[in-house]
Amino acid sequence: MVNGTAKPPGLAFSRETFAKLTPAPFLHAHLQQPEPIRPNGRSLDAFSTPTIHTGSLSHSNGSAVVRLGDTAVVCGVRAEILLASDIPHPPGDDISEDDLVERLGLLVPNVELSTGCSPDHLPGSPPSTVAQALSYRILSLLHTSNLIKPGDLRIQYTEPATEDDLPDEGPKIVMKAFWALYIDVLCIALDGNPFDAAWAAVISALKSTRLPRAWWDPDREMIMCSPLAAETHGLRLDDIPVASTFAVFGTGSALKQRSEAESWVLADPDGFEEDVCNETVTAVVRSDGGGVGSVTRLEKSGGGAIGKAAMGRCSHMAQQRWREWQGVLHGG
Amino acid sequence: MPLDTSTYALAHLRLDGRRWSELRRIHGQISTQAAADGSAYFEQGNTKILCTVTGPQEPKRGVEVEMNVAAFSGMDRKKRARGDKRVQEMQYTIASAFQSTIFTHLYPHSTITLNLHVLSQDGSLLACALNAATLALIDAGMPMSDYVSACTVASAPSSDQTLDEQDPLLDLNGLEEQELPFLTVGTSGEEGKVLVLLMETRVQVARLEAMVSVGLDGCRQIRGILDGVVREHGRKVLESRVS
Repeated sequence: MVNGTAKPPGLAFSRETFAKLTPAPFLHAHLQQPEPIRPNGRSLDAFSTPTIHTGSLSHSNGSAVVRLGDTAVVCGVRAEILLASDIPHPPGDDISEDDLVERLGLLVPNVELSTGCSPDHLPGSPPSTVAQALSYRILSLLHTSNLIKPGDLRIQYTEPATEDDLPDEGPKIVMKAFWALYIDVLCIALDGNPFDAAWAAVISALKSTRLPRAWWDPDREMIMCSPLAAETHGLRLDDIPVASTFAVFGTGSALKQRSEAESWVLADPDGFEEDVCNETVTAVVRSDGGGVGSVTRLEKSGGGAIGKAAMGRCSHMAQQRWREWQGVLHGG
Repeated sequence: MPLDTSTYALAHLRLDGRRWSELRRIHGQISTQAAADGSAYFEQGNTKILCTVTGPQEPKRGVEVEMNVAAFSGMDRKKRARGDKRVQEMQYTIASAFQSTIFTHLYPHSTITLNLHVLSQDGSLLACALNAATLALIDAGMPMSDYVSACTVASAPSSDQTLDEQDPLLDLNGLEEQELPFLTVGTSGEEGKVLVLLMETRVQVARLEAMVSVGLDGCRQIRGILDGVVREHGRKVLESRVS
């Protein structure tokens, strides 16, 4: 009964204390189990189920409220008229349709994170780099996916035939104005993965957007809009791309052999996991005509823990996520 | 002027079909966000406000209010500058109203932060913000002396009728606020102690008393609605605990 049989009393921390003091080993302990499970109770590949409500804001042309786990985001789309006469350097006829939206800047997304949605984003501060990066990523995804057709945003005027026109010339169609869509995304609560939630809100709000019927009045020399709800038209959005973000938790460090490092891919990270992981992968999938989606965009940043095989798994999971979203977007 | 049409004199119905003493459709929900200490969502007609409470936190600043007006909330898309004076004044009014209601002596050296998100504006902005903030503070479990309930009242539209026959209008929407002189009144408690009274337009002094008394009655009705929302939430929580 002399040495070492009585064990020294162990330190008994609650889960929350352990998570606060040593977040990385806390997550590692969860993932090392034979049935790995994350601290929020989800499995490694499980995404959170989104809840979407559209059309709740009365002053916007389109709106959506999206909840993805504990992250909640509100998006409002306002349409304003951009007169062709106000464009300083109008594009020539040689510009392709796909570039028109980008050239004229007809889509203006803005992600507002400084709303008090999390302790890191207190209101009153200028947009942080995270917010600016999110706005830019959404803008570039809108442009490269050609989601909005320029035809939906044009306000044309067919000039009546005059005596000078040759008989076999068709009626002259003049571009009088364009609709510019201001897409404002307001983050109400942030618990990780703002990009997926913001993108989901943007596509849901655009789907629910109704633009009034507008025409050029030659006598008053201005654009007139019809106030009737029955004369509004929506945007033609085929092939809606769906974004899925993954975080990679790795145990590699400069002090270890590369072969000793382990890594796990966590789908749809929450706030705690985002703080602990350095690497993120975002895959955007849209349909390719068949039932299987194709990857249109792949973004990766952070570390070097995952290789081709893991990226392949991520795109596969993103395709599955795209299939789930088809049901939500077209059914709900 | 939306109310100066002959239809008001005929049927005494406003543009949205309400009578002078009717409130708009009011809907409130508490505990809408799990992450915040207290949260609430409040709608008065088309004015929709979300409020979250965080605190008490370290530096001592009493009650702090931050109001974010979303760019898509009003009739025109307008991105508010950070130093917008109208928003700052509303923030100050709300903060001082709650400074006297919350038992801040129980939290010395600490700050209680209220974040208001205005999602849609259609009149009665300050009143709706006060109501949303009350619900959020109750959800956070802040000890307060009583509910703070607020509403707007407008003086009756001018016409040839005598002063006695004109009823002040309760709970204004955006169009009515632009056209009529109105005031916002916020009260605390069943007996209606006035905490906030804000009037920025000109009105005849003789009509003021009638407006304030109609406002106090409107606040009493809203207090009943807020109480109902809190009790309903409490009942649901208890039921889920028991089962």
